[in-house]
Amino acid sequence: MGDDGNRSALSRRDLLRLIGATAGGSAMYQAMSSLGFAADSPYRGPISLSAAPRGASVLVLGAGVAGMTAALELRDAGYQVQVLEYNARAGGRNWTLRAGDRYTELGGLTQECRFDKDLYLNPGPWRIPHHHRGILSYARRFGVPLEAFVQVNYNAYLHNTKAFGGKPQRYREIKADYQGHVAELLAKATKQNELDEAVTTEDREKLLQSLRQWGALDKHHRYVASNESSMRRGWQTPRGGGLSARPTPSTPVELSDVLHSGLWASVANGDELDMQTALFQPVGGMGRIGEAFARELGSLIRYNAKVVDIRQDEHGVTATYEDAQSPGVTQTASADWCVCTIPLPILAQIPMNVGTPMALAIAAVPYASAVKVGLQFKRRFWEQDEQIYGGITYTDLPITNIGYPNTGYHGSGKGVVLGAYVWGRDAMEFTAMTPDERIQKTVEYGTQIHPQYPQEFDNGMAVAWHRSPFTMGCFGLWTEHSRATHYDNLCAFDNRIVLAGEHASFLGAWQEGGVTSALDAVTRLHARAVAQGERARGAQA
Amino acid sequence: MRIAARPLALLAPCLVVLACNWACADDRRASLQVAAGDEHAAEIYSHICQGCHMANGRGAVGAGHYPALAGDLTLVSWEYVGITILRGRKGMPAFGLSADEAKQTRSVHLDDAEVADLVNYLRRHFGNHYNSKVTARDIAGLPHPDADGEREL
Repeated sequence: MGDDGNRSALSRRDLLRLIGATAGGSAMYQAMSSLGFAADSPYRGPISLSAAPRGASVLVLGAGVAGMTAALELRDAGYQVQVLEYNARAGGRNWTLRAGDRYTELGGLTQECRFDKDLYLNPGPWRIPHHHRGILSYARRFGVPLEAFVQVNYNAYLHNTKAFGGKPQRYREIKADYQGHVAELLAKATKQNELDEAVTTEDREKLLQSLRQWGALDKHHRYVASNESSMRRGWQTPRGGGLSARPTPSTPVELSDVLHSGLWASVANGDELDMQTALFQPVGGMGRIGEAFARELGSLIRYNAKVVDIRQDEHGVTATYEDAQSPGVTQTASADWCVCTIPLPILAQIPMNVGTPMALAIAAVPYASAVKVGLQFKRRFWEQDEQIYGGITYTDLPITNIGYPNTGYHGSGKGVVLGAYVWGRDAMEFTAMTPDERIQKTVEYGTQIHPQYPQEFDNGMAVAWHRSPFTMGCFGLWTEHSRATHYDNLCAFDNRIVLAGEHASFLGAWQEGGVTSALDAVTRLHARAVAQGERARGAQA
Repeated sequence: MRIAARPLALLAPCLVVLACNWACADDRRASLQVAAGDEHAAEIYSHICQGCHMANGRGAVGAGHYPALAGDLTLVSWEYVGITILRGRKGMPAFGLSADEAKQTRSVHLDDAEVADLVNYLRRHFGNHYNSKVTARDIAGLPHPDADGEREL
């Protein structure tokens, strides 16, 4: 890589961006889809493993979504299962912070959650698309109640610090105006026969009709202040009852202003496969799923177990672990097979006798940087003052998202919003701050969108995933190149060891990736165990 | 584009904003009477590196660990440090990626002059005393990330 033209420096502009003067967040989703995130789930119903060979055992490392999925299915098939978990709780990144919870990040800073009862922050996953059938099937199986997660809220904001004087715009207005102007342009081209090659005379009229409907155009196919456009973007004077409420149409924003605002970049977020309605969240926080898994597995999970060594030979696999609370004294756990779900940055540091292909794959995947900040406010001003009920505001500020609670509407008490969901280099910078500084910056940035922030702010929690002692990062960051070179080697069995987790999936960062990779791994494990059992019986006979 | 020389005039406005935003970084800077390269490296360290290696360079231990830079014997080799920054190592991201790759992963990428500054900074702070200095030219001679994204083990 000696080509200077292709490598850009941390320039002054970059530095300014780094320190939060400007930032870009909306390109994230485009980048994510190009990395293979926007994939459907291959889950096709519960798996049913035939009976395990007599006495066969499996050691599962990690009690996150992938590890607990593997443990549950293997236990049900009759394997003797033991799970080792570093944390004092199950769930891994499936995690909800609630009143009284304490969280100590790497570096030793401890936060105590001072949210009111029933309020929470999901530092990890917060939404489940309807087609993530695997994770949903476990929620159903455990009786975890779900409620709607609002992805698209037409009354939430799109915000760009460099557009409209920095004033946030309602999603409905930008979407209507963007769509309306584009429809008008297309209608013009159609009428002027500029699309003749693509559109037959027969289709022409139908296209015009559909453009009028799609873009809310008037009868002359213009996108202007009209009843039609106001029924999309809202009225200047709203409709009401009686003599005092005759509506007057609003005036659309000019096409050029919409284009230059860049806000169109976030309009289609809810059209992405993984963001399409319906989406769900467990009532009471995402952590309810992990908690239910843990109840189901009970004493099979050993907590506070820090794995320090993994050995395999022709007979089985042995993990050496120490008590995370009192290091030094080691114990071992052994089994015929091992499903290892330890996040790769940690696994890369644990001595383990696997072959070069898997070892290279484990070292090939750095983890994404991400930070989530939950802010508790004294009142639900976004509902009371701005009629925003759930959903997400998108901004080019480093906070990128403001996620309003999709539950407890009209509550008279306090409320918790996701004040920041920081990515990439901005997240690295937030990680380098103390939790208090992250919260303070989140309040400062958010004040540009909701001026009520300083007045109403109560307290906050900030989780920087690279400071998480149990993952050392947010999720596996594959590139096209690394996936082509290492992905199959990461997923393939190395003698008695198989890996699972979102990092071993094409659904990176999604719980569904953990579930489907675990089901894939245990299905292959079972086939091996059964085949070996048969060989053993054959040898005895 | 690579910044070969970094005039102080260019840097100064950044520092003003930095001082407003990051009190801790500012405090550290106030105590440093160092050359522009060190100053720039200190900024990069306090805004990026210390997220994992911590403000005091002592790293941290959880289920895994972030290596301490204070007293780290690998610092004896500037090549090792340079390659680690450029190409990443195990869970550590690469900071010398091509513009395309860095964009794809929304990561930070440093040019050779910045990597040189950082190498010099790490080897002469946190109680380390390796005083030989490297330049952008030295860093340019190290293996940068491959197109296939191979990393260091």
